Amino acid sequence: MWWLLLLPTLVFAETAPTDEKVVGVFYFKPMFGHVHQSSVRTSASLTTIQCSHPLKVIESSKVSASPEWAYVQVADYRGFVLRDFLSEKRPDCFQGKYPKFFDAFNLDLSELYYWGRLNDHYIQGETRVK
Amino acid sequence: MTITYKAKLALSSFLLTFSLMAQTEKLQDEKELEVVDFKSIKKVLQQDGLSEEARNKQKQVKILKKEQGKIETGRYLYPTESELWGFVSEYWLIKNAQLLNWDFEKPDYGLDKSFSTTLENLGFYQKKYKILLVNTPSMVRAGIPGDNEMILLLSVPFIRSLDLSKLEISLLLFEDFVRLDLGYFKKSVTTEKMATLGGSNFKGQKPDMVLVEELLKNYDNQLNKKGYTFQQQFEVTKKMDAYLKSSPELWNAYFRLLGKIDRFIKVNVQYKYYIRLYPSPEMQVKWLSPEEKVL
Repeated sequence: MWWLLLLPTLVFAETAPTDEKVVGVFYFKPMFGHVHQSSVRTSASLTTIQCSHPLKVIESSKVSASPEWAYVQVADYRGFVLRDFLSEKRPDCFQGKYPKFFDAFNLDLSELYYWGRLNDHYIQGETRVK
Repeated sequence: MTITYKAKLALSSFLLTFSLMAQTEKLQDEKELEVVDFKSIKKVLQQDGLSEEARNKQKQVKILKKEQGKIETGRYLYPTESELWGFVSEYWLIKNAQLLNWDFEKPDYGLDKSFSTTLENLGFYQKKYKILLVNTPSMVRAGIPGDNEMILLLSVPFIRSLDLSKLEISLLLFEDFVRLDLGYFKKSVTTEKMATLGGSNFKGQKPDMVLVEELLKNYDNQLNKKGYTFQQQFEVTKKMDAYLKSSPELWNAYFRLLGKIDRFIKVNVQYKYYIRLYPSPEMQVKWLSPEEKVL
């Protein structure tokens, strides 16, 4: 009967790797942004994404972050994005509204990187409705 | 006799079958003719309501083609003026990222809450703003337009050198908010192209990038060289006076802040350019001071 004592451990071992779930697919709101390595605004960028890019939001007991951050998966990358930057519906993006005008800028990689960083560095606010 | 009768019977039955076959063939031809004859089908189609259906289909195709054309034409639009301000302001910040040095780990001054509270206390509701702290002494402050919001820049070395409190930082930001609200920046930076091209269509040609190049040049000029006039600064100070008068605590803090900036920039060579861009804290203090009566 000694093996009965081991049973919970075996059950846990089986559930541990699958202890995460996809909360849903969300869309990126700002013009450009980064998937961060850690839940800090200045942390390294894993990849640059642009407005309307779909992201899988994941909940995992293995990953902890402050409530303002979401743990996401984009292609093969898993990292962090500010929740304020996510939308349940596909957003109305500048580059989608004015594609030919936007293409004419032919932004280089460094500009895309900085544009993403800019959105991380803004302190954004809106005063309440009276 | 019998043979003759039989032969007659066979012949007549053959003729009857042949004539019947000929009759059937004719009927089929007629049917085919009827199919080819549009006039005869028209009646059938009309009876079935199919020509009405065809007309509706044609209408739908026309509408779809029109919509498709509209979407295709819409791809060649210039942004509206408001969207253009927001886009160009951010593009200017990207182009000047290294000079302004805003990509650094910032101290948390709790500005999101303190600035919102200051605005709300002064009666400014539903106002959107973005604050960007820069790590350079060569750009103390600036307010540039966003898309239906304001982008406010403030130097961290300046905040540290003057050891500014949360309230003082908020008042400094509020002054830029008021200056931007008075429209001086837009008036000084806007171009003819912006007024004519904003929201228009450029299908069949390349977008006129001079529009953006001119604006970027004007941003540089306004924020680094031209700055604001005494008259504009006077108007800003008087507006601040009017807004803050209802709250003596804020008015006194603003008055002390101007004195602090005045004393600081007079002894710091690094910030000498400040007076040229924002003339001048000394005058602002005078404009706010009650007039002395000569006895």
